[in-house]
Amino acid sequence: MDFVAGQPQPVGQSIQQQQQQQQQNANTHEQDFPQPHHDLQQRQQHHQQLLPSQLPQKSLISKGKYTLHDFQIMRTLGTGSFGRVHLVRSVHNGRYYAIKVLKKQQIVKMKQVEHTNDERRMLKLVEHPFLIRMWGTFQDARNIFMVMDYIEGGELFSLLRKSQRFPNPVAKFYAAEVILALEYLHGHNIIYRDLKPENILLDRNGHIKITDFGFAKEVQTVTWTLCGTPDYIAPEVITTKPYNKSVDWWSLGVLIYEMLAGYTPFYDTTPMKTYEKILQGKVIYPPYFHPDVVDLLSKLITADLTRRIGNLQSGSKDIKAHPWFSEVVWERLLAKDIETPYEPPITSGIGDTSLFDQYPEEQLDYGIQGDDPYAEYFHDF
Amino acid sequence: MVFSLSKESQAELQLFQNEIAAANPSDLLQFSANYFNQRLEQQRAFLKAREPEFRAKNIVLFPETDEPLSRPQSAQSQSRSRSSVMFKSPFVNEDPHSNVFKNGFDMDPHEQDAHQPLKEEQQHGGEKGSTPPLPMHFNAQRRTSVSGETLQPNNFDDWTPDHYKEKSEQQLERLEKSIGNNFLFNKLDSDSKRLVINCLEEKSVRNGSTIIKQGDQGDYFYVVEQGTVDFYVNDNKVNSSGPGSSFGELALMYNSPRAATVVATSDCLLWALDRLTFRKILLGSSFKKRLMYDDLLKTMPVLKSLTTYDRAKLADALDTKIYQPGETIIREGDQGENFYLIEYGAVDVSKDGQGVINKLKDHDYFGEVALLNDLPRQATVTATKRTKVATLGKSGFQRLLGPAVDVLKLNDPTRH
Repeated sequence: MDFVAGQPQPVGQSIQQQQQQQQQNANTHEQDFPQPHHDLQQRQQHHQQLLPSQLPQKSLISKGKYTLHDFQIMRTLGTGSFGRVHLVRSVHNGRYYAIKVLKKQQIVKMKQVEHTNDERRMLKLVEHPFLIRMWGTFQDARNIFMVMDYIEGGELFSLLRKSQRFPNPVAKFYAAEVILALEYLHGHNIIYRDLKPENILLDRNGHIKITDFGFAKEVQTVTWTLCGTPDYIAPEVITTKPYNKSVDWWSLGVLIYEMLAGYTPFYDTTPMKTYEKILQGKVIYPPYFHPDVVDLLSKLITADLTRRIGNLQSGSKDIKAHPWFSEVVWERLLAKDIETPYEPPITSGIGDTSLFDQYPEEQLDYGIQGDDPYAEYFHDF
Repeated sequence: MVFSLSKESQAELQLFQNEIAAANPSDLLQFSANYFNQRLEQQRAFLKAREPEFRAKNIVLFPETDEPLSRPQSAQSQSRSRSSVMFKSPFVNEDPHSNVFKNGFDMDPHEQDAHQPLKEEQQHGGEKGSTPPLPMHFNAQRRTSVSGETLQPNNFDDWTPDHYKEKSEQQLERLEKSIGNNFLFNKLDSDSKRLVINCLEEKSVRNGSTIIKQGDQGDYFYVVEQGTVDFYVNDNKVNSSGPGSSFGELALMYNSPRAATVVATSDCLLWALDRLTFRKILLGSSFKKRLMYDDLLKTMPVLKSLTTYDRAKLADALDTKIYQPGETIIREGDQGENFYLIEYGAVDVSKDGQGVINKLKDHDYFGEVALLNDLPRQATVTATKRTKVATLGKSGFQRLLGPAVDVLKLNDPTRH
């Protein structure tokens, strides 16, 4: 199995032990976690919404396997409100990974403890061709670390800004892969809540990987927290209504719009003005949009939950059956059996970061042990 | 997006500043370009000198590849200008791969138009001409995610606001006017609005003092009661305002850096409201309403066989509407479309020739028969007080629930 072979090897094990471990992993993996598409097919045969699906019985433990010493920290690939993502290299197998580092103090200060713990749990649980994979977590006195695959092709955001806008078929390709990922998450009662081009990476072949599960959450009924990215937030979130999966389908509409137009439908100079526009709900479709996509977007970017496609009785099936996607063979797309519109011009496997923007590096405080005032919040890391 | 520069960056900038001060160049741009190119050269030479040392540690500083073809390709693509990304051609007619999607990705004439610039560019590899420019002010930078505090509205029962103080009728009216136009408040029901206003804290500030500072984390929203204030963005005055105006409302949604600095230009009396109080009032009312919807839907015989999930979806999709006393909500004999839950108020149910046959009030419902059947309305319902209803139409109901509606029809206890 490719993914077991790609594991960053933990410290202090002989090759033989590692192989045994891998064997075990491979076995338990197959038993514990059915292939996502089988799973989904099963789900669709049953009634997707009537049977509240449980997440697969998979180990929730992510700590204890890796330490900072297992990796060389290299350049920054991205920064956020509470930390940054580094390219790293395993000192054991020489392969490249990405480590997301979050500052505990900042998480606590921004009151994001619950979201951060949800992020870890969701990442540990999900497994899908279009979702980022997390290998493990660890922490020191100041930071928490999440070891993930290094996705070499950069952000869809960078590609979009460079191209200004995507041709109709290209936007359709990325939208279709995003839909499969959302369908999988929703099938497991996980809402994502932060869809945007910045959170979609392209792998070496140009397939998408959705990353940053900072707001992903398993929700059985409804949730209330105001979160997301202003341009992409659904009206029901702004008006403090209880919400669920419907918010991801709204964001999908905004994403498709941005891919085709190069800008978002409700942009304005301040977030408050953007929110007002979202509540007014008036969308102007550029004349070069295909009529089919205008029809689809008018059904995604609507405040009326009885009209929002994806939120209706047949769920994501309605979207997949929409005329704009008529050419898409969904099974082949899921199997990555379709040529991507763009192959990132990188050399794979050598830690090529040419497609990631440069960020100012800062003095690293990683690896400090000792007094940790926030220990109680991050037991599982 | 505010981030502080790292020490290295600050040092680098300081160095650069010193250089400018020393050289006092007449052409600053050219000077800067030369200077940084030189810096880059220095740094690269430095790293190049240490390459063996890194190689010993198995770190590749300057990757070379075995595949000579991929190098020029990637170099080329990096040097290519903005908006000249080459998309592969599964999406064009003549491509052998165009059958990867069903029917291929044949472009219709409509689309052809839109992609003309891109095609030209592929042929000539030159600058493209006619892509419409991005709208002005569009922020093409990465966008920061935002998040409010996670609150659990089910445990607000024993919560009382910290700064609750009854306001006079006059004050209430004035404050309601001040905040009425803001979307954060105008969707509130009158009880919540009153509660919010009564939670405003009085604050006096002296002439010249800074009320909020650009870049600071925001927790409070302010309404000016007396006095005047000036607004500054990046130290430039952009606006000023007086009594009745308000500012800082984004802080009521989530924690984010203040967009402007506000300075008192006279002694001021302000009303302040903090986010946690506001969100708790909003969520509490939203949560109670939601519970009420759910309870009511549960008690409706026609919806009895609905799953919890579908009922939740129905509750989410309800729309609210307000009727004034005397207004008719549904009329006997009309074709029925909507059903109604009374959030608060009072209505009379009357039938031709029989007069008022029933009175309904808070948390009653009517018109539900219309959801499943095409019967005309059996009675007229008229508001006798100001009445707020939550309502959903048959078509929305069917779109939302689809086949579940047929199940409901089969089990409809009101039939037979």
